Amino acid sequence: MMSGREFFVNRYEALGWKFKDAQPRQAIRINSTNGKEKETVERLQTLGVVLEKIPFLNHAYWIIKSDFSVGATAEYLLGLYSIQEAAAQIPATLFTDLKDKTILDACAAPGGKTVQLADLSSNTGVIIALDVEKRRLTALANHLERCHVKNTIVYKLDAREASKLEMRFDRILLDIPCSGNFATDKDWFRQRTIKDIETNAALQREILEEAMKVLKEDGEIVYSTCSLEPEENELNIDWAINNLNLRVEKIDCYGEKGLVKVFGKKLDKSIECCRRIWPGETQGFFVCKLKNGGSQ
Amino acid sequence: MNPIHEFVSRFNASISLDKKLLVKEKKRYFLLNEELKKVIRREFYYAGVYLGKVKNNKFFPSFELLNMIARKEANKVFVDKKSAWLFICGRDIFRQGLVKVHGSKKKSSYTLVLNQHGECLGFGRILDDLSEEGKGVAIRNISDVGDFLRREARKHCD
Repeated sequence: MMSGREFFVNRYEALGWKFKDAQPRQAIRINSTNGKEKETVERLQTLGVVLEKIPFLNHAYWIIKSDFSVGATAEYLLGLYSIQEAAAQIPATLFTDLKDKTILDACAAPGGKTVQLADLSSNTGVIIALDVEKRRLTALANHLERCHVKNTIVYKLDAREASKLEMRFDRILLDIPCSGNFATDKDWFRQRTIKDIETNAALQREILEEAMKVLKEDGEIVYSTCSLEPEENELNIDWAINNLNLRVEKIDCYGEKGLVKVFGKKLDKSIECCRRIWPGETQGFFVCKLKNGGSQ
Repeated sequence: MNPIHEFVSRFNASISLDKKLLVKEKKRYFLLNEELKKVIRREFYYAGVYLGKVKNNKFFPSFELLNMIARKEANKVFVDKKSAWLFICGRDIFRQGLVKVHGSKKKSSYTLVLNQHGECLGFGRILDDLSEEGKGVAIRNISDVGDFLRREARKHCD
């Protein structure tokens, strides 16, 4: 049967990673638009929270020790920081420039990355945030209000219908629905099958295809998943290179090179510019930056 | 007078909102900027700055609207650290927790509640004339930023 712990662990080994249990550390990101980083950090330290700067990110800290939930402080409620897993903080930072840009956050809820995009753009330009589920939209709206986001419009719209907006975007974040990974879901191995992964991969290709339709000629797409499965990552990007005339851009961020050989299949060499993060201090993650124009 | 201005006036304050940028969507009010105004479509879920909503003919302000009022001359009280924490937990403000009072001290007046950093935590209503000596509860909590957590809790109970 193509499911279960052993099946997936064997796959990871075939991809070059020896399985080990992971415990992603809790992380926060300072919303620098809403306050000075130094002051927010000092306020948390005064409350007794022990923080450690995350070496591969700006404005980000691991929570080393806290006797209470960092999601229940006045500083959190006032939007001075967000709780955001470290790897999940990477995608928004990969865009060349966000100020005064027209940005699409195609699968936005619950909004951690939307708030980060607003912070990085200093609330300038326009962010269009899409999601389909009412409950998730409520969470997204609360997140935007708490963090004083001012440059965002939220629509209840499927990312596969983004062209209905009749807009073109400078930047598109595709933090795409995916199968997730075992590091953040203890039942992952029990619940996932290869069929789920193939279904998600197909959905992701549809979203990529739609994103291409609304991307400006010189625009940038950042594609990310928290899946470890190559079907949702390198294989999809290889498909995008061959079918959507996209090219993979070099990025400088935490993680290992993307795989250019997957289960015996050779992929476009530029895929090594993607970044794959095997679970450890962070959850599992995959991220890359795409632009119009074929292989680099 | 629209419900927003009526609400703001309760704090002896006024704010000017560009009518062209003010939009109402299903009983909720939003303030856009010029950039958003150019691209917004008719049916949206959230946009720009959320100002509040009308429910059962009553206006419920957003915390961003309270912040906008707090930046103006308005009724406001500054409270100590302990009172600030209790307030965001939904509790009232006691006399001994008041550090400074700006604007009206009269019974029944609406007032914003700010912490030692000058950040607006919510608003309430004065229970007893604050210019007179007294003890016990001074400000009745009406709304505080702890509501963000309570909304989450309600969502999980749905």
